[in-house]
Amino acid sequence: MISLAGRDILHAWGKFVFTGIGLGLLIGVTLVMAGVYRGMVDDAKVLLDSSGADLWVVQKDTLGPYAESSSLYDDVWRGIRGVSGVDRAANVTYLTMQVRQGGRDVRAMVAGISADGPGTPGWPPHLVAGRQITRGHYEAVADIATGFRIGDRLQIRRNYYTVVGLTRRMVSSNGDPLVFIPLKDAQEAQFLKDNDAIRQQRRRTAENPAFSRPGVPGLLAAVIDSQSRNPYVNAVLVQIEPGRRAEEVAETIRTWKRLTVYTRSQMETILVGKLIATSAKQIGMFLMILAVVSAAIIAFIIYTLTLGKIREIAVLKLIGTRNRTIAAMILQQSVALGVIGFVVGKITATFGAPYFPKYVLLEPLDSVRGFIAVLIICVLASIIAIRAALKVDPAEAIGG
Amino acid sequence: MGERGIRIHGLQKRFGSGDTAVDALKGVDMQVAPGEVVGLIGPSGSGKSTLLKCLGAVIEPSAGQMTLGEEVIYDQRWKVKDLRALRRDRIGFVFQAPYLIPFLDVTDNVALPAMLAGTSNAQARKRALELLQALDVDHRARAIPSQLSGGEQQRVAIARGLVNRPPVILADEPTAPLDSERALAVVRILNEMAHQFETAIIVVTHDEKIIPTFKRIYHIRDGVTHEERGEGRDV
Amino acid sequence: MRRLPVQKRTLSLLAVLIPLLALFAYVALRSGPLAPVSIVLATVAEAPISPALFGIGTVEARYAYKIGPTYAGRVKRLEVDVGDQVKAGQVLGEMDPVDFDDRIRAQEAALKRARAQLVEAQARMSYARTQARRYEELLKARSTSEETVATKKQELAITEAALQAAREEIARVGAEGEALLAERGNLKLIAPADGLIVARNVEPGTAVVAGEVVVESIDPASLWINVRFDQIRAQGLAANLPARITLRSQSGEGKAGRVLRVEPVADEVTEELLAKVVFDKIPEPLPPIGELAEVTVELPALPPEPIIPNAAIKRIDGTLGVWRSVNRGLRFTPVTLGSSDLDGEVQVREGLTAGDQVVAYSEKALHARSRIRITERLPGTQP
Repeated sequence: MISLAGRDILHAWGKFVFTGIGLGLLIGVTLVMAGVYRGMVDDAKVLLDSSGADLWVVQKDTLGPYAESSSLYDDVWRGIRGVSGVDRAANVTYLTMQVRQGGRDVRAMVAGISADGPGTPGWPPHLVAGRQITRGHYEAVADIATGFRIGDRLQIRRNYYTVVGLTRRMVSSNGDPLVFIPLKDAQEAQFLKDNDAIRQQRRRTAENPAFSRPGVPGLLAAVIDSQSRNPYVNAVLVQIEPGRRAEEVAETIRTWKRLTVYTRSQMETILVGKLIATSAKQIGMFLMILAVVSAAIIAFIIYTLTLGKIREIAVLKLIGTRNRTIAAMILQQSVALGVIGFVVGKITATFGAPYFPKYVLLEPLDSVRGFIAVLIICVLASIIAIRAALKVDPAEAIGG
Repeated sequence: MGERGIRIHGLQKRFGSGDTAVDALKGVDMQVAPGEVVGLIGPSGSGKSTLLKCLGAVIEPSAGQMTLGEEVIYDQRWKVKDLRALRRDRIGFVFQAPYLIPFLDVTDNVALPAMLAGTSNAQARKRALELLQALDVDHRARAIPSQLSGGEQQRVAIARGLVNRPPVILADEPTAPLDSERALAVVRILNEMAHQFETAIIVVTHDEKIIPTFKRIYHIRDGVTHEERGEGRDV
Repeated sequence: MRRLPVQKRTLSLLAVLIPLLALFAYVALRSGPLAPVSIVLATVAEAPISPALFGIGTVEARYAYKIGPTYAGRVKRLEVDVGDQVKAGQVLGEMDPVDFDDRIRAQEAALKRARAQLVEAQARMSYARTQARRYEELLKARSTSEETVATKKQELAITEAALQAAREEIARVGAEGEALLAERGNLKLIAPADGLIVARNVEPGTAVVAGEVVVESIDPASLWINVRFDQIRAQGLAANLPARITLRSQSGEGKAGRVLRVEPVADEVTEELLAKVVFDKIPEPLPPIGELAEVTVELPALPPEPIIPNAAIKRIDGTLGVWRSVNRGLRFTPVTLGSSDLDGEVQVREGLTAGDQVVAYSEKALHARSRIRITERLPGTQP
């Protein structure tokens, strides 16, 4: 017995492959959408992994430093460093802002890292080019997603920074790329505004009669000076000694220092559970819709293909073809279409993913699941066509 | 009659029930011997399509008897379990239009009924090729139906009907679309095949060109047949 | 027998399907976790490094003078403006005498009055003495009572005291008068030393309080940079080390200088060491006070030791180390680090030898079991 499905496909292979490609693009978009979802979750987690921290110490009763703003004094780290179980503690600041380079603006999260050196919590754990920051001011390490190159001069607030190193996949939970600069510069950037705003502030302070007392000449200058300092950071990153339990050390810090401390899993819950929850739901819904649309389109295509063969099916029945054989023919065609579609879809998804503005993470398990889903959809879609085919009366072939 | 030949006695077919019932066949008697080619002539609405469908085991008669060779296939109800197998193995069809499967080549089109019957692909194709040779279309063996002329397609259709050596062939207006030369060619082929393979052939037609060729003709009107001698002209 | 149509059809279908499947296989193997991680290696070499320290500071004048009146008054005139060179002792301006002359006249009048009061007191005393003597005589003659004599003696004592008071009053008024005169002399604002006027804070006619700065001057030869270094990166900072000074307004042009001294008191709050760095030659034109400068202090070059780029340093499970490429696999090697220079080269005291290959750059974080692919340069990092 020959394969009727095979012969039919071979006969009209152009149309078949073309349809498969069209279907493949739809499947590709669905796979990319799943990848966007995974990418969002990965974005939320990548900063946690790359910071190298076991604990995050933030302002009391805030969800900071990523989900909510948090301010700590910059000498709090010393007390934390002394807590039993703490191996390393480092200040860190984060601020999402526009970074200027040449004629363009890039939205980035500027991270201020403390002066210690590579291996300190908060420092980029690996580079793709260049070197780590060595000078205490005016140097930066940027993520390649910013589009910056080594040697570029960036302007952050009023200072210029030279890019000395590049990283990959260092992004905030929103997907904004990171730019690492020395902590002191970041504190200034986070606090000091541009020159116009500074002048305004000085003018306001000078007009305040409490500060401009004639009998006390140095008072105004001292007040303005104190307003120009920023003794705050957003969080202290802590690495614990090997062998100690994170929650235990966290509890010690919470009790003795009266600060809020989060472990890695708690931070993940905050970011994934709170920060990206809405967007994730949106993507999830969109994914469902795409899947349903794909299923409908496959069903429609198979049904139309079958309807176009009604007469042949009647003849086949008349000359004695089993219902089973006819059903198998339709099913095989449906599955073949699905397989071509999936192959095309996976290829388009893989080559198209890097061009997407958001990070697309294509996991192989998702592809396997997608493949199984496509097969199931093909089988279910063919059922409708098979029902139509089986209803065909062989007597149709004999004219009336 | 032996294993081949078809005999019908008192066949009736009623469509619907009660007041709206229509009696398409009211008591048809027919018999065709192996090697015989008979014509079945009648106006439209006379029940000839219904008769063909009953003969082809496509619809179930309401009453009567049908015997194929030695076997009673219908006696007030079907006596055969697998009608599809009956159609596949014992009855060949030739239609008005060739109804070839467009995505199979000529050889596979002809071989298909044999393959469906369980014959090996190689054996089925061999048999198909023999028939194509007999019908003088073997030079088109690898072409696909859309590449053939109407007459060639019709001949391929006839070959397909014959491939399982059925005892009965039902031909429904096989010459309608053809001109007189080709129509007579088809009749000639049918006669040759009937003789060669000992097949009983019933040709439903109203084609004036070929009616004179039949030796026996069944007229059907209002659901009843009556036999008549035909001219039996040579082709 | 036409064989061609079927064969051609199959061939064209295969021509489409086979590349498709090949592409699919490529995609399956090259992306996702099955794909190897691209890395770039660096070879450990023995080389000397020149460590340096980097800090930022502001231009200040070591000797700066703030000149102003010692009392409240009004500025009458200023002779100098910003940018003028002045000499020690030069009169820079003058305060308004305002009511000074009136006050001096009042003082003189008070002095005169005090003197008149002295004369009066003297006259009273003379009279009281005469009276006291007379009554003493009378007492000898028993013409008066003892009590009367005592009263007269007391009156004499009182007038003597009053005379003394009057004398002191004259002294006091006199001293006040002298003080006023001295202040009157102080009206002039005098430059305490040679220098350059850098600020003129009030204009003539303005009333100022005591101690308010009217004019500021600096000694231009005493310009220095007040530099801050992160404590954790300031190892080796010492006086007399050579330094390179880059002023903010002239980025790119470094000027030579040296460290004058390291301040004994560091900034505890900002965790910085403070130092003073001077120019070898004060630049012309003078850099403005308060301008920011970047200072690089060069430490003496160190002898050759194995060095690695600082991009290779990682901390895993609390240990500082590098990934070594060993037999196409990776092994994490703990290291002890030495000094580093500002270009990112770091000495390795222990853990590596020259010739070892370490991972400098990688696309992703690495594990001991990562599949690696060694390349010259990672994608996306073209210069």
